[in-house]
Amino acid sequence: MTVTDTPDITPEPDDKDRIPAAGGVSRRRLLGAVGAGAAVAGAAVGAGATALGTRGGGSSSDSGGSGASGPATAQTVAFRGGHQAGIATPSQDRLCFATFDVASTATKEDLADLLTTWTAAAEAMAQGRPVPGDNGDLEAPPDDTGEAVGLAPGNLTITIGYGPSLFDGRFGLAGRRPSALKKLPHLPKDNLAAAGSDGDLCVQACADDPQVAFHAVRNLRRLAFGTLVPRWMELGFGRTSSTSPAQATPRNLLGFKDGTRNIDGADEALMGQYVWIGDEEPQRWARGGSYLVSRKIEMRLEAWDRDRLGDQQDVFGRFKSSGAPLTGHAERDTPDFHAKAGGQYVIPADAHIRLAAHENNNGLRILRRGYSYTDGIDPVTGELLGGLFFIAFMKSPDQFVTLQTALGQHDALNEYIQHVGSGVFVTPPGLAAGQDWGGQLFG
Amino acid sequence: MTRPATSRRILACAATAVSAGLLLTACGGDKSGSGSDSGASAKNAGSKTAAVSITVSDKNCAPTPAKVAAGSVKFTVKNDNSAKVTEAELLDGGKMLGEKENLTPGLSGDFTLNLDAGTYHVYCPGADQEKTTFTVTGAAKKTWKDDPQLVSATEQYATWIDGEVKELASTTDTFTAAVKAGKLDDAKKLYGKARIHYERIEPTAEIWGDLDGRVDGRADDAATPADFTGFHRIEQGLWQKNSTAGLDKLADQLDSDVKTLYTQVQTVEYQPAVIANGATDLVNEIQSSKITGEEERYSHIDLLDFDGNLAGANEAVTVLMPTLKQKDAALATEVEQRYEAVAAALKPYKATPGYEDSGYVEYTKVTSDQRRTLSQTVDAYAESVSKIAGKIA
Repeated sequence: MTVTDTPDITPEPDDKDRIPAAGGVSRRRLLGAVGAGAAVAGAAVGAGATALGTRGGGSSSDSGGSGASGPATAQTVAFRGGHQAGIATPSQDRLCFATFDVASTATKEDLADLLTTWTAAAEAMAQGRPVPGDNGDLEAPPDDTGEAVGLAPGNLTITIGYGPSLFDGRFGLAGRRPSALKKLPHLPKDNLAAAGSDGDLCVQACADDPQVAFHAVRNLRRLAFGTLVPRWMELGFGRTSSTSPAQATPRNLLGFKDGTRNIDGADEALMGQYVWIGDEEPQRWARGGSYLVSRKIEMRLEAWDRDRLGDQQDVFGRFKSSGAPLTGHAERDTPDFHAKAGGQYVIPADAHIRLAAHENNNGLRILRRGYSYTDGIDPVTGELLGGLFFIAFMKSPDQFVTLQTALGQHDALNEYIQHVGSGVFVTPPGLAAGQDWGGQLFG
Repeated sequence: MTRPATSRRILACAATAVSAGLLLTACGGDKSGSGSDSGASAKNAGSKTAAVSITVSDKNCAPTPAKVAAGSVKFTVKNDNSAKVTEAELLDGGKMLGEKENLTPGLSGDFTLNLDAGTYHVYCPGADQEKTTFTVTGAAKKTWKDDPQLVSATEQYATWIDGEVKELASTTDTFTAAVKAGKLDDAKKLYGKARIHYERIEPTAEIWGDLDGRVDGRADDAATPADFTGFHRIEQGLWQKNSTAGLDKLADQLDSDVKTLYTQVQTVEYQPAVIANGATDLVNEIQSSKITGEEERYSHIDLLDFDGNLAGANEAVTVLMPTLKQKDAALATEVEQRYEAVAAALKPYKATPGYEDSGYVEYTKVTSDQRRTLSQTVDAYAESVSKIAGKIA
């Protein structure tokens, strides 16, 4: 590599003139002057549009968080609104998820500045533009890493969350901790690795292109040097649940349709009842947000593939081919948990869908938004390492704890899965015009 | 960082020279790498950089075009078929600004310079017509040379480098003497005392591709076992084989190579951007070869090398600091704070006299969690340092 190669994203001279000069101002401060975000973003629109060429046909409205339900040409999801994008938004195909810890040397001010910087960068990227600040200076590293240039925005959403540890004494946030935010208790069959669990902050980037999702996390990480330390990261593919009836129910790596009975993100009544933090939360700043629970669930794929079909179907309680419950014919048929044949439940007592069903959990529901993942090959055994990177959003993490307590004790699937990573984060509500994550968190 | 054999020093050379946009010294000896080098930089350099092609032949090395506007100029040098003429240089009066050498037939390479208006010469020793005029038009721009503060910074840096290389020559001499005298334990303790001076000035040493490879190459850099020479070859003997046997010739060669380096360094003139980018290179070095334990794989004195790279980067940053403070006070503060953070992260591993007298604990005693913490601190510092060249240039 030679540094003299002009990056393709170098703006043409007339675009460059529209970008605020970075001279004498650090990138962080340039971005940090948000309200500013607006100025920078606005100024960079010309450059982005010219330099990047193709962009989506328009933004979908997202004030209710209903996401990219616009015309097929729309490839961007509105960044601002009542709720953060990436929750009710119909699941994109790919995920890049990372968590971070605040560096031991960073101060409250550093963190607030970073969140402000992140807002400007995330908003730009969600609109399909590079991270603001590049002026084509051959002597300086480009401000955007560049690998998403020319790619469609792919409905990129960037959703951030704060872990319980962020609300300890370090940054004066103890008084702003949302009431239900605490580390999950130990759950049955947990075998969690600290290196793949928890974190002070998380970033969930979803897009229809893995490179676009990765690019988002990579650039936020880069902006965070000195303030945050990356903790762990996961790439997801093949969304494993539908958050809109318009989407086909995908299959998980066990080959089954899972998530058929998920909450529809556009169903505002259900979302209000089970997903969005409401007036019950004393921390007003968190209302309209949600709790994100992440679980890395390793699957014993080789063992599963050797299980006979009848048993596989009994484990899930669904037919493998059609996805229909064992008591039905079509995928979306309502399971009949009372039906018996020969004195036995047709859907076995320990079937996954029985234990997870809201009918059997006092109506309890969560919004699942998980993805398949693979970490390659287990260096010790040579078996495939992969499974489900489970993400769910809910009004209170207790919803997950209740469900997983039952599943962890009784689910027939447990023979083939193991929870190896875990995280819980409060995802703040959406940003209003002119607002940024720093101001929102620190009030 | 694992880099392909032989390309390490070449890439380092290209990066040092080209990224700075101004090359004042030889960046030669990259016979095997010129092809890939030119390939990597063959992309359009954009409107800001003028492209000039130079084809060397037995007859001459006339540039096309022979006249460009002031600013960044990229010279692509190609030798189609001349066995007699194998290099081209750009001269400003008697001073060489940039060159591509060892271009045997079929090879090409490039270098990029920031040129002010004036008359220059393209020079290819050995050709029938050795010099051709090359003209740069436009207003003579104000350069860093008009800024006494930056001129003083480059002089300060040059003085520091000269001093370090002088120390390197003398400590290497002591080290190699112990090796040749068969004093194994002494040699092990003296190894680090020489190494640290090299680690402080590494980007400068890398200007001489061959020399850097001979002095500081690793086993995996060498094309053949015989090409594995220098500090790390002797390191392998001392620690892995626990013996000084068979190291005499290698010791002599190292001694002589370092002395050559000392001579060469006297001719280097530094540009502010070169110094700044050199600092980035040094911090990247910490990340790529010290944190990993790659560099001192037999002796495990990596923390001493870490210290050397950090000190070298800090010296480069320090001479530029007065200018940086004027141009971007916030970045200056950030750089200083992050340097302090790295220094603080390294501190717990200091020891007296330390492992092999290195002043630090043996690197194998540093756990992977601790290495990760060090790495993150270094990364943050590197990110800040990488912005300096763009501010002061």
